[in-house]
Amino acid sequence: MNNLFEYVPGNSFIHRLNPITKLLLTVVICVAAFVTDRLPVLLGLLAVNLLFGLIAGVAGRTWNILRGLLKIAVFLFLLQALLYRGGNPVFWIITDQGLLTAGKVVLRLVVVCMPLTLALAVTRISDLTNALTQVLHVPYPYAFTLAATIRFIPQFVEEMNGIMEAQTARGIPFDTARGLKKFSMIVPLCAPLLISSVRKTDQTAAAAEVRGFRLRTRDSAYKRYPFSAGDFAVFACCAAILAGAILL
Amino acid sequence: MICIQDLSFTYKNGTEPALREVSLTLPDGDFLGVIGPAGAGKTTLTRAIAGMIPHHYTGDYYGSVTVNGLDTVETPLDQISRLVGTVFQDVESQIISPVVEDEMLYGLENFGVPRAEIPRRLEEALGMVGIADLRERSIASLSGGQRQKVAIASILALKPQILVLDEPTGELDPRSSRQIFTLLRKLNEEQGITVIIVEQKIMLLCEFARHLAVLNEGRVMRQGEVREVLAHAEDLEAAGVNCPRVTTYSRALSARLGERQPVCVDLDEAEALTRRLMK
Ligand SMILES: Nc1ncnc2c1ncn2[C@@H]1O[C@H](COP(=O)(O)OP(=O)(O)OP(=O)(O)O)[C@@H](O)[C@H]1O
Ligand SMILES: [Mg+2]
Repeated sequence: MNNLFEYVPGNSFIHRLNPITKLLLTVVICVAAFVTDRLPVLLGLLAVNLLFGLIAGVAGRTWNILRGLLKIAVFLFLLQALLYRGGNPVFWIITDQGLLTAGKVVLRLVVVCMPLTLALAVTRISDLTNALTQVLHVPYPYAFTLAATIRFIPQFVEEMNGIMEAQTARGIPFDTARGLKKFSMIVPLCAPLLISSVRKTDQTAAAAEVRGFRLRTRDSAYKRYPFSAGDFAVFACCAAILAGAILL
Repeated sequence: MICIQDLSFTYKNGTEPALREVSLTLPDGDFLGVIGPAGAGKTTLTRAIAGMIPHHYTGDYYGSVTVNGLDTVETPLDQISRLVGTVFQDVESQIISPVVEDEMLYGLENFGVPRAEIPRRLEEALGMVGIADLRERSIASLSGGQRQKVAIASILALKPQILVLDEPTGELDPRSSRQIFTLLRKLNEEQGITVIIVEQKIMLLCEFARHLAVLNEGRVMRQGEVREVLAHAEDLEAAGVNCPRVTTYSRALSARLGERQPVCVDLDEAEALTRRLMK
């Protein structure tokens, strides 16, 4: 979980794409997953995601995302399959229609969760911020806020783990507790964690400020973000994916 | 020149003043070491010099701070920041980018350093701190000491006239700490950059700094040349600041022999004193 949002350095085709293109692909995959109601299309979208991960050379990360989603996917599948009424019974109260619907729900979840995590794995957040301001003309403070949020997730998790380790060392059984019990043990830790985070965030804001945060404009970034042939190729893919999802 | 006059400051959500009637004057090109126990107000002092107080951290502010003749209350923070570069005590919160190169670029881009000059500045700063090989690394993959070096390099790249460093060697091993101090001395002597450094490693401070300021409970207890300040070792120890061992040694000798011996600040002096007494 800790490194699920971390950048994986590389120089693949996907790494070199314009950050905006990656963002567009992410959005297109998500939209397509909600537009379509057909299993083959969803499977196709899953394949697109896997291909994305493979080309980007982040197979390990892709696998981690899938594994992370496994528990909730199984839970959702069972819930849907058990609750669905209608169709021909296959086994006990489970029907063929139920299985199909459950499969689609789970696939949709996986297909929607994957692209953003993958895109973040192969995009430097600063490139994302720069491209958002340069290409899409998003005001810098908004782009910065987005970047800071993404950046703070791992730090927050790291700190939470630190506190839990310290508590475990004092004999509080964080490591063995599960589910709701663990959750109820974590909640009281949130207040102190939040206070220390707020102070840290405030310092980060100061760090940005003393390095000219307010002077930054659309043209400040050293790097430029033009679209290349590869980007246009991906645009074409995006159009094809959308068309496929709507028409099939 | 930095001129602090009767500065008292209480953070907006604080109860006690973090600084009380602090007065300090630093000529251009000075090398000042700041030392004091936890909570003495060292970090607060660095924030006041960098203009973060009162521009970012608000609260009750009395007195004045001028940097090169500019009153920090009246001057916009961006303008002060062009003069004063600050390395924070908490490296984690100073670093805003996820990759070393981007962290280096951030200030350079914002302050409008010409594009053609940026690559050279970046390489130069990384080279000075000795981390040219870390350029493409993600911050998350670095050790605490490496991160600290990145933070220092990102400020050096901006070439400020005044460098403020808040415990910049906290995570560094002794050798790297010495390297950083040697680098600071070089910048100080060759380019006339004013250095203000908060540091707990008193030996390094005594070796490299020209002046010392001892803070305790928000007040400047002692300030002056290193030797003058060390001559009042009892006061420092009362405030919880450990003196260099050679200083303690020369004081112990004075006490034992019942006559006042000169205060030693480094090993050479201690050796000379020992030899003289042995004769
Ligand atoms: N952001 C803040 N908001 C409110 N109070 C603060 C803030 N930062 C520091 N203080 C308070 O101001 C006082 C001086 O703190 P400061 O951080 O300047 O001490 P320090 O000498 O740097 O200590 P250390 O050696 O632990 O770094 C402390 O009482 C501290 O609690
Ligand atoms: Mg401090």
